[in-house]
Amino acid sequence: MIKVLFFGPVAERAGASEVQVAFAAGMRLLDVREQLQAMHPAAFEIVCFAAVNGEHVLDMSLPLADHSEVVFMSKFSGG
Amino acid sequence: MKDPVRLQQEDFSQDEEVLALRASSKRMGGIATFIGCARDFSEGREVMQISFDAYGSMAVAEMNKLREEAIAKFGLLDARIVHRVGVVGAGEQIVFIAAGAEHRAPALQACHWLIDELKQRVPIWKKEITPQGDAWVTQHP
Repeated sequence: MIKVLFFGPVAERAGASEVQVAFAAGMRLLDVREQLQAMHPAAFEIVCFAAVNGEHVLDMSLPLADHSEVVFMSKFSGG
Repeated sequence: MKDPVRLQQEDFSQDEEVLALRASSKRMGGIATFIGCARDFSEGREVMQISFDAYGSMAVAEMNKLREEAIAKFGLLDARIVHRVGVVGAGEQIVFIAAGAEHRAPALQACHWLIDELKQRVPIWKKEITPQGDAWVTQHP
């Protein structure tokens, strides 16, 4: 399974702070995004960044390992 | 001694943080600090509280990277970054940054750089709680 976390405004729009996505061999970050975007379109309207296992990821074709932790995030507003 | 980089619900003490910074080196000739506070208004609306959500593990990791980068980039002797999460009342402290160097210029420059970079790179989100309802802040002023 892939653990996907949402925070702040993305979590509010998705109505969840964590969802699980079934892992499949060859799965890329883009595949997870497309799957979840179809389920939570309003949340993904504001998604700007992604992280895998706590690291910023720019390349959405990044292959994922099983049990990865993925986060889709909106612009930050701390400080 | 408290960790120099922290995410915490409770308020922080500037005096304690500066004392901890000064304890790291007697060569420190300049210390610059920044405190971000919760304004009681935003875009014409009264703001009663601000609620912060964070991707905690990544936020702390990014804040640690920022501290290490600032120490290297500006030749600092030490730096500290503390950010609160949870609900913060209007007028209360949100974030603390301190940069200590041999001279004032790198301390001031590093302090400014650190708060700007924190806003861009650290996964923390704020929601303003107003009498008219709650609203997530997604723009950088």
